[in-house]
Amino acid sequence: MSLLSVRSLIVDYETSGGTIHAVNDVSFEIEPGETIGLVGESGCGKSTLGKAVMRLTPATEGRIVLDGKDITQIDQREMRPIRSKMQMIFQDPMNSLNPRRTVGALIGQPLQVAGHSSAEVKARVAELMSQVGLPPDAAPRYPHEFSGGQRQRIGIARALALNPKLVVCDEPVSALDVSIRAQVINLLQDLSDELGVSYLFISHDLTMVQHIADRLLVMYLGSVVETGPAETIWKKPAHPYTKALLAAAPVADPQEMRNRKKFMLQGDLPSPANLPKGCAFSTRCPFAEDRCRAEKPILRRVSGEHRIACHFDLADRMEAGDIPTTPSPKAITAHFEGTSV
Amino acid sequence: MARSAPSQSLDHLYRFARNKGAVLGLIIIVIVFAAAIAAPWLIDRDPLRIVYRPEIWPFTNPKYPLGTDSLGRDILALILFGARTTLMISFAAAFTATILGVIIGAFAAWFGGWLDEVLTRLTELFQTIPNILMIMTVVAVLGQTIGNITFAIGITMWPPIARLTRAEYLALRDREFVLACRSMGMGNIRIMVTEILPNAIPPVIVLGSVIIGSSILFESSISFLGLGDPNVASWGALIGDGRTLIRRSWYICAIPGLAIMFTVLAMNLIGDGLNDALNPRLRDR
Repeated sequence: MSLLSVRSLIVDYETSGGTIHAVNDVSFEIEPGETIGLVGESGCGKSTLGKAVMRLTPATEGRIVLDGKDITQIDQREMRPIRSKMQMIFQDPMNSLNPRRTVGALIGQPLQVAGHSSAEVKARVAELMSQVGLPPDAAPRYPHEFSGGQRQRIGIARALALNPKLVVCDEPVSALDVSIRAQVINLLQDLSDELGVSYLFISHDLTMVQHIADRLLVMYLGSVVETGPAETIWKKPAHPYTKALLAAAPVADPQEMRNRKKFMLQGDLPSPANLPKGCAFSTRCPFAEDRCRAEKPILRRVSGEHRIACHFDLADRMEAGDIPTTPSPKAITAHFEGTSV
Repeated sequence: MARSAPSQSLDHLYRFARNKGAVLGLIIIVIVFAAAIAAPWLIDRDPLRIVYRPEIWPFTNPKYPLGTDSLGRDILALILFGARTTLMISFAAAFTATILGVIIGAFAAWFGGWLDEVLTRLTELFQTIPNILMIMTVVAVLGQTIGNITFAIGITMWPPIARLTRAEYLALRDREFVLACRSMGMGNIRIMVTEILPNAIPPVIVLGSVIIGSSILFESSISFLGLGDPNVASWGALIGDGRTLIRRSWYICAIPGLAIMFTVLAMNLIGDGLNDALNPRLRDR
């Protein structure tokens, strides 16, 4: 049985400008101990999806089943005992840690809310602090006394306090210095190996997610456009949007960076209040045809677990030289195959 | 630099102390409080009793250093006991207004929707009524006692507090640390009181100190108009009684007038100092 099962989830927001369709018919599963990477650009609904799973944002339609229990519509009181099974790590630890509480109080807070005695809380806090690599004397101090990386360790310790089975990580390293991102990612990975916790790892950075995720979900404008094993998608993206995301990722070698052919998207993300007809990506897709603008593609299998929501086969289109925005399609393909041009 | 809790409040104290005006305000308020507390020991009789001939000028009779008023009451005694009335009413009224305002503002912002709509309209409704008319009406209906005056000023002064609190809560409501508390299953009231309130309260305290100043003015106005509690000494009432003699014995109005002025000024200076000390946005200008 899956740890988390999300079925046809729809999340709409009512605003003065109309209904915002933040999440459109998204389905996925997370197995125990597995890490799912949820990738997409800003405003694609990935954070909303994370919050909906956490029941911090109400789902409009669909079902969220955690550990065999449907939690989609249950009220806050029924939700309370289930909270311990899933916790969240937030983007900016400066924002997610109440500046007026000490580190010990912050980490112990979930335990306190769950009704543990103060002696239990104290012991568990000490244990958690050593687990995430915080100095033992950190407990009486305040979050602003710590560096960004250490602050995020506080957030991680707090999320793990109740021994959750699932942790939703909402851009957990985006607010951190590049130099310490790897540390935090490695910590998360070690903790997952050690505790068997599953992550729903939300990020706009495919390269970052690829390190930690077993499987990927690529979201665009509220829908999943590509899903499959992280390795497969990384090596052979089959959806033009994923391809563009990968092409936008910087590489360490400036020579390669300069030689690399651009595969860039034109225009901005359409408003989620007014979704395009047909394929959501059709307004920016270099391969879009009439069919794309009329008919919404459903997720279809490419190979094994690898699925895309596209009417066409990317490899065919690239071979056909049918890409207006890229001078040499072969160069891109070659780049992602790992060979030089 | 790293700051822990005790050094953080020391830091606030330091910033407050750096504001010379605020320190002066604090000194004045401390003197007024001392006078109010010491009044029964300094003057061992009812301050409203007629003690001597009326209209004795200040500094002419050592027994009555500030002279006597139009009825022959000791002005020093009236000022000292008036400080009690004024401070008690204004602090209690400002406290009432702050509690009311914080509760209304916090509920409006946190729960939103129709509750916000109702509470915001209520706040606006109260703001459309001129404060002094509202206070006079409530006192006239309920009766001229200290308790009723306090109540009247309190339920008149809360709207600015409610608006400020609502704005603070709205800004803090969607912060991630609040989401974190919700995700651990913390209840609404607990989040509002233990998580958001400590972060929202500094600007409210600053406004509260200004409200105390305004309450002093309203209390004096009410007493000046003859709607004060007739059984207690009040600065405003003393000015009201003395106003007919303003050409001949202007000191009867001037002495309580100065007392009011300095006390209100002191409260506003303290408000400024608190703003410097507590408002992080204005730090290190």
